[in-house]
Amino acid sequence: MTTLLLFNVTNGLIIGAFYVLMALGLSLILNLSNTINFAHGGFLVIGGYIAYAITPYVGFWGGLLLAPPLTAVIGLVVERLLIRPLYGRDPLYSLLLTFGLAFIIQDGTRFIFGAQGKPVTIPPFLAQPLSSELFFITGYRLFMVGMAVAAVALLFVLLRYTRLGIRIRAGTLDLETVASLGINVQMLRTLNFGVGIFLAGLSGVLAAGQLGLEPTMGDSLLLPSFIAIIVGGIGSLPGTLAGGLLIGVASGLTAVFLPAASEAVIYVLMAVVLLIRPRGLFGEEGMMT
Amino acid sequence: MGPTQRPRSVDRRTILKTGAAIAAVQFTSPYIIKARGETPVRIGFIDPLTGVYAAIAQSEVVGAKYAAEEINKKGGILGRQVELLVEDSANDVGTGVQKAHKLIERDGVNFIVGDVNSGIAAAIAQVTSEKKVLHIVGGGHTDTITGTGCTWNVFRVCNTTTMDANAIASTLMEKFGKKWYFLTPDYAYGHSVQASFEKLLKAAGGTSAASLVPLGTADYSAYLIQAKASAPQVLINIMGGSDQVASLKQFVQFGMDKQMAVGGTLFELESIRAVPDTARVGWWTMEWWWDQPGVPHVAEFNAAMKKITGGAATARNWFGFASVQTIALIANQEKTLDAPKLAHALGGFKLPPEVALQPGAPEYRAGDHELMSTVFAGEAHPPQGDPDNMFTVKSPVPGEKAAGPVEATGCKIQWPA
Repeated sequence: MTTLLLFNVTNGLIIGAFYVLMALGLSLILNLSNTINFAHGGFLVIGGYIAYAITPYVGFWGGLLLAPPLTAVIGLVVERLLIRPLYGRDPLYSLLLTFGLAFIIQDGTRFIFGAQGKPVTIPPFLAQPLSSELFFITGYRLFMVGMAVAAVALLFVLLRYTRLGIRIRAGTLDLETVASLGINVQMLRTLNFGVGIFLAGLSGVLAAGQLGLEPTMGDSLLLPSFIAIIVGGIGSLPGTLAGGLLIGVASGLTAVFLPAASEAVIYVLMAVVLLIRPRGLFGEEGMMT
Repeated sequence: MGPTQRPRSVDRRTILKTGAAIAAVQFTSPYIIKARGETPVRIGFIDPLTGVYAAIAQSEVVGAKYAAEEINKKGGILGRQVELLVEDSANDVGTGVQKAHKLIERDGVNFIVGDVNSGIAAAIAQVTSEKKVLHIVGGGHTDTITGTGCTWNVFRVCNTTTMDANAIASTLMEKFGKKWYFLTPDYAYGHSVQASFEKLLKAAGGTSAASLVPLGTADYSAYLIQAKASAPQVLINIMGGSDQVASLKQFVQFGMDKQMAVGGTLFELESIRAVPDTARVGWWTMEWWWDQPGVPHVAEFNAAMKKITGGAATARNWFGFASVQTIALIANQEKTLDAPKLAHALGGFKLPPEVALQPGAPEYRAGDHELMSTVFAGEAHPPQGDPDNMFTVKSPVPGEKAAGPVEATGCKIQWPA
């Protein structure tokens, strides 16, 4: 029983690391642009399909390297043309826009690539489990965790030590003051959106290798990512990190005792956190009023 | 200015409300395919064109559209052209029922075909029987549709879960053993297949454990850890569509294919195409197969589908095709669109070879309205020659044998007064 528990906690952390990757992008966009990006799952799908389309020419590693920035470019265009005009309005406008955009992306990929899923092959050496005992820790899953850790580390370095990152953080805290200091806030939001979509694209490429590729794959990953943000606390990137890992572990542990509830438990966790601490675990007072 | 004084326009309530909305709302626009003739015979076709079953649902639509075109080329139904109205149930029971009402009450369809999702098909059947509309279930497998929940107006082309389980269970037990673990989707279809298998396994003295998995689950590792812990000889994978693809991929990545056999009722060609070669494994049933040497009209149908889709014909193509053809055949034979008359005539009706596309002449059994279609049990493998040659039929099981006696289905048809 102890082994099973330990297995499921470890497994939960692995799943959680993936939620973190997705949720950080969402969180970045939400914090600076006040945009609840429901199309984030759609951008994940775009990332996966771009990798699928270019892999025959550039290989798996080329796809992994190129697909996220290409997805980010699409994100930048979408932000510039569709989302930017809505910044001054009620956030419900951008929410509805991204909600619709999610359907357009899903149907668009279905139109271009077909409703049928696409097989995605990963390098054989990554497709092996570490050992027959630790069969659920495959090379690819470890690689995914490594990528998530690297992305989180890079993001924190970017936000802490670069001019862009410091401005993003400042903008998250008080956008009006940042604007009055002469910083181009529009550009800041665009770049920030691009970074968020880059993370979605990266999540898409990684998810495709693990789950397969089909137009609706973003749906099942989007909601847990939102829950990670709410549990961790809106406005707090470390909170998002903790939230993602926590729901992963909660889901993994529940699978030991009641497998059918392993998905429902993350919603229960969210409800409990909101009842006890409405701002989320790491959210600042006033962020979630 | 401290964070507490900062104005925020996106608050917790907004996020919670919209989160609930995205989870609840399933939205798609209806669309209509083809409108020919002035007073066409309308067939409403409801299937989950979006969601996890989108690929197989769209395959059914392709087959149904092809059937409508063929029927129209031969003069239509009662000399009137056939119009196919395709609606998306979005894999949601409420939406499916709403679409059925819309098709019958607003569009005035004469017939209904659908749904891939058994839960939706059963819910739609309640509407069609109440509205006295002949209803063909093309690809929803749950036993109850032609079992305890059967109705006078509902006929089914695809097999029951019991038929599929009967066709493959003995092979799995003989080859691999009687200790099984089920990976079961947590809705009507999954429960029905598991129950069918468990009945057979218990009768043979076997044991089993199971995980019920919510539809649309992305990561199966937690369930696979559970499965491994119970050390079964066979993992019965009942997941469907993209759920089956993701779970099988992970099963193989975890190296579990080297420790236990995998199999189940269905691993449809659409799903086999969506997994890499390494995950093209296991023992399954096909409910129709494109490569049947010597069986008339099969190659012709396969070529027609290949021209449209670029790939070999799938069982789902045939479900859609056979559903619409059944309607045309019986209506033209009886020279009426009256649902009770057609339903009476369909009991015992044999499909002709150009529609049956399989050995023998399967009939809609009068006692439960189930088509006694051949079940093709066999093994999945990477492509051999033709890129779609990824399944080898080992034993075709006649429908009557797989279905068992009609009394065992629990179906008692109540005809309208």
